[in-house]
Amino acid sequence: MGELGVNHFLFLSAALFIIGMMGVLIRRNILIIFMCVELMINAVNLSLVAFAWESNTLNGQAFAIFTIAVAAAEAAVGLGIIMALSRRVTTVDVDEMRTLRD
Amino acid sequence: MIEAASQPLWLTFIVAFILMNVLLVGMAYMTYFERKVMAAMQDRMGPTRTGPKGLLQPLADGIKLLGKEDLIPASADKIVFYFAPLIVFVTAIVRVAVIPFGGTIELFGREINLFVTDLNVGALFLLAFGSLGVYGIILGAYASANRYSLLGGLRAAAQVVSYEIVLGLSLVGVFLLSGSLSIRDILLQQQVDLQIGPLTLPNWFILSQPLAFVIFLIAGVAETNRAPFDLPEAETELVSGFHTEYSAFRFSFYFLGEYINMIIVSLFAATLFLGGVDGPGSDRYWGMGVIWLLVKVIFFLFFYVWLRTTLPRFRYDQLMGIAWKVLLPLALINIVVTAFIRLVGNGQL
Amino acid sequence: MPWDVIIFYILATVCILAAGGVVISNNPVHAGVFVVLCFFNVAAIFVMLGAEFLAAVQVIVYTGAILVLVLFVLMLVDPDDLPEFHAARPVQRTVGLLLGAILLLEVGAAILNRTVIGQQGNATPENVAAVGGNVQGVGRVLYTNYVLAFEVVSLVLLVGIIGAIVLALPERLGAQPDQRQGTISLGHPRGTDAAIAAGPLGETPMPPASPREPRSVPTLDPQRELIMVRDPDEYTTIGRR
Repeated sequence: MGELGVNHFLFLSAALFIIGMMGVLIRRNILIIFMCVELMINAVNLSLVAFAWESNTLNGQAFAIFTIAVAAAEAAVGLGIIMALSRRVTTVDVDEMRTLRD
Repeated sequence: MIEAASQPLWLTFIVAFILMNVLLVGMAYMTYFERKVMAAMQDRMGPTRTGPKGLLQPLADGIKLLGKEDLIPASADKIVFYFAPLIVFVTAIVRVAVIPFGGTIELFGREINLFVTDLNVGALFLLAFGSLGVYGIILGAYASANRYSLLGGLRAAAQVVSYEIVLGLSLVGVFLLSGSLSIRDILLQQQVDLQIGPLTLPNWFILSQPLAFVIFLIAGVAETNRAPFDLPEAETELVSGFHTEYSAFRFSFYFLGEYINMIIVSLFAATLFLGGVDGPGSDRYWGMGVIWLLVKVIFFLFFYVWLRTTLPRFRYDQLMGIAWKVLLPLALINIVVTAFIRLVGNGQL
Repeated sequence: MPWDVIIFYILATVCILAAGGVVISNNPVHAGVFVVLCFFNVAAIFVMLGAEFLAAVQVIVYTGAILVLVLFVLMLVDPDDLPEFHAARPVQRTVGLLLGAILLLEVGAAILNRTVIGQQGNATPENVAAVGGNVQGVGRVLYTNYVLAFEVVSLVLLVGIIGAIVLALPERLGAQPDQRQGTISLGHPRGTDAAIAAGPLGETPMPPASPREPRSVPTLDPQRELIMVRDPDEYTTIGRR
């Protein structure tokens, strides 16, 4: 507790990841699910940078930059899908979006 | 990063406090400056009654704004309504922390830095807090429970985000030439003298990056939602845009936040392109450096007001078309040409 | 306790509370604000870890662009207040929380018992400062070791842009405004039907262009009052021709 070690950051990353995962599993609003996915990606970034800090390399930071870029592309396409979907189904409740299943 | 005097923390707080107060007073008198200059350009006099030559007008405006009734729409989201204007205001003021007003001076027997901090990603810090300011607009528009405010806010946010990209890309040329993101570094590189034939010119980046300067200026005006890019908040369109439902003190946060944004963009342009505190006599007396910076900032503020009085407003699709179809390709071309010239100059091509 | 530990605990607490707020809050815009708060604090933690460039990129790109996009879509697409968290099945909630807590304990145990694999690199803070700072260091790594990944990521972004544009195009190019369905609400739960029937930019749909029989215009009798109530359709020309 007296000295800041990697384990502190890893615990925080794990907590954020698990809270994000709970959000994805519990919530029914598709946009909030999306935000929880972003939260999980961020938690992973945090652990990447924490490991890079511990091992005195910069590879973790470069990887985190790539992760952010790919998350940006995923956000654009995912939100495009949500908007296209919302034109057909007038709700954002994921429990209603089951035409693939029925 | 340049070596800065390591000063005790309380001294940094004092410098930050002084800078913040100077910025706030400057913002208040910017309103006066704008009204006087607009009046002069429109062949009338501005405020003349309150105080000598109307100099106490900002005080009167402040008292008026404080005294108005604070209306909150009944179906508004109260917490978000409360916080949204603060976001604009705070993210604007924080940005003054990375702008250097000089180097390290010796005063009262101590070494004092004339800047609050020197981050090695200083320019990105400015861009980052600029992009956080968008939330003030979106959340304010949403919290107003008014669909015209929402539309105005979304439009304003889309405009700010588009021009933010152009702003960042126009600065990449400057970063390529200076090799650093730290603003003090960029400043120090502009204080070197260039020899062009018989002339000895300072290495201001406006000379080596004229296109980037023009793009930066246009994008800066659009970022702050000022004329001629002020369609989302113009009084004659969409009532008052996203701050329709705000009254009294909350409105003043938006209003003054816009002025602080103008001052920060002017400081930014003066520091990155015009050499900031560089000027004749600034290397001997630090006061002259601060005065030169003020002269450059006032020149940019005058340019802002000049644009407002002269040019008609752009239509929204024209506005977005300029950002994406004109300025963005020009900024990219500028980056490519700058990189090419730098490689050729370094002998690596 | 040294300062950085205190600051870390403050930042971490705000992060976790904000993440909890995302999962719990009913209103999606509140959830969005909590996400922004969480990401901003994570950026501050990045600065603590010596990744200043990544912190700036996180704020500019992630909070300043991606989440703005999410908020935009939220306001254009959503919301009736879904009977979400409060009415939702309490058994599911408690089981979820229990599972989450157990998982957190397991991961915590894994963290405490881990072994470090791999060697220490050479990007110590002194070496990084010698190169010129974190930005220069990351730049070197990006453009030498990872230059191929860099190019591939730019392709990914290009594909993302094209995909987003294709998805956001109207379903039939050149669809008439009056044929558009009113599925895009204006983002407020108390929006009226008239607002829902309007298009996404608030324009009202054009009435169908059916030919109208010309109405007889009442002749003006100068003896009668000059103020008459006339049919408002006669004042408009929309749909006339």
